[in-house]
Amino acid sequence: MKKSQFIFYLSLLSVLLGILTIADLVVGSVNVFSIKDNSQLVDTILYTIRLPKVITCVLAGSALALCGLLMQTLFRNPLAGPYALGVSSGASLFVAIATMLLTSIHISGLYFFGKSMITLFSMLGAFLVTLIILIISKKNKSSVTVLLVGIMLSQILGALQSLIEFMSNSNSLKTFVLWGMGSVSSTTLSDLLFIAPICAISITVTFFMVKSLNAILLNEDYAANLGITISMLRIKVILITAILVGVITAFCGPIAFVGISVPIASRLLFKTAHHTHQITFCLLLGACVMVFADLICQLLSAHIMLPINTVTTLIGSPVVLYLLFKSKLNIQ
Amino acid sequence: MIEIKQLEIGYRSKRKQTSVFKGLQASFQSGNLIGLIGDNGVGKSTFLKTLSGFISPLKGSIFIQNKNIESFSFQQLATLISIVTTEKISGFNLTVYDVVAIGRTPYLSVFGKLTQNDTMIIDHSLKRLELLPLKDKLIDELSDGQRQKVMIAKSLAQQTPIILLDEPTAFLDYTSKHKLFEDLKTLCMEEQKLIIVSSHDIDLMQKYMTKALYLKENNSFEVI
Repeated sequence: MKKSQFIFYLSLLSVLLGILTIADLVVGSVNVFSIKDNSQLVDTILYTIRLPKVITCVLAGSALALCGLLMQTLFRNPLAGPYALGVSSGASLFVAIATMLLTSIHISGLYFFGKSMITLFSMLGAFLVTLIILIISKKNKSSVTVLLVGIMLSQILGALQSLIEFMSNSNSLKTFVLWGMGSVSSTTLSDLLFIAPICAISITVTFFMVKSLNAILLNEDYAANLGITISMLRIKVILITAILVGVITAFCGPIAFVGISVPIASRLLFKTAHHTHQITFCLLLGACVMVFADLICQLLSAHIMLPINTVTTLIGSPVVLYLLFKSKLNIQ
Repeated sequence: MIEIKQLEIGYRSKRKQTSVFKGLQASFQSGNLIGLIGDNGVGKSTFLKTLSGFISPLKGSIFIQNKNIESFSFQQLATLISIVTTEKISGFNLTVYDVVAIGRTPYLSVFGKLTQNDTMIIDHSLKRLELLPLKDKLIDELSDGQRQKVMIAKSLAQQTPIILLDEPTAFLDYTSKHKLFEDLKTLCMEEQKLIIVSSHDIDLMQKYMTKALYLKENNSFEVI
């Protein structure tokens, strides 16, 4: 991809994100333009309620899309993604363990850790699942097998989660269910002060991995022959995926199809293999998709309260289906 | 250039090691096209993997430019030896140009940005294998023979004095095979590279090779 082309698409996506962001700030259950005499109320609605939500959407969308891209490159599998391979389920299960099992056996002080404890467990769950998928993908290179294993793993983790829900007491179950419904609107500005730096650092680190990511597009043998230390790259990808999926899942609950479909869409839309380009496009496109999904939720909010997860699934799954049926990409 | 002494090759796992070939002794100089011949399963691929540093020798040693292969880091080896394996490359929007450009990896910064010198070398490698008209094509759209040439161009861009090819003629028709070997031969002569090729095409080998290493059963071998 030529530099001028890259800059063109970059500005296009940035403008799109800008428009969507402003639209998402304006649209909601209260029409901010109709409030004439109470500027304090407008400030509260815009800055305390809607702004953190929009920023959360941007961060969650770009972080999940980035994880999807990294996983797809590492596994050389266009069907990989944090939700499809059960990484999000792993995070969920560990949050369930933290909120229900551990509180019900009364480990003192645990409750006070609150969100940071949930985040830590969420990361741990994401890390363990990514590790399992990696070990399996080393033994069996077929994309479809890895995907099936991911689906099975999600099912098993989901079942374990139900088991914990069944065994736990009503109070901690309530905490967990509330978290599970937890959408992009439950984050506060102070939460963002925690999430944003983590996302920023992870994204920066990813840009320092561009050369290795490009080389591994050929295959692991070729990458090793080009001087790339594969094991190091694997560890970095797993850690970044675990951290990002962990944090996002901890604050927004499991979000489906953004991680898998955004990198696919990005490759279909922007014909480039270079990771500097693809990372940038995935970050912006992921943010756009997430803000757009929230916008739809807001537009419908007068009639129904739609979980953002439903919307991302409705937007994202056709992309994956398209890839499976129409595109010429080889899936073995 | 390459000096092989009492080499035993094979695979090592935690519990046991499987020896594939023992007592190999040979030396190859630059400017040669070496044929690696032998029946299936005799250890040709294992030998090439050992030479490229993917697996370490079970016994004995390999010297490259008078230094033991095990004293080189992955990064150093990347500028000495390049390989073309039998595995097919596909997908991810990779164009012919992208694949050849990835051959420059050992010389790039972490951001993978190509300098003017890099693009010159890439263009030169593409031209050498007559791939310039195909450079913007997706790798998925190419024939097997063309893919093979792209991977060789990648090895050229890697600018290594040694190139290893594992059965490059497996998917090629008669004319493409001859063309490929002619290309390899001129590369050897003009750029003083050492190229080692494993293949089952004995006739082709006889015509183009300057030397051949014939691996036989029961750990016997012949340098022809």
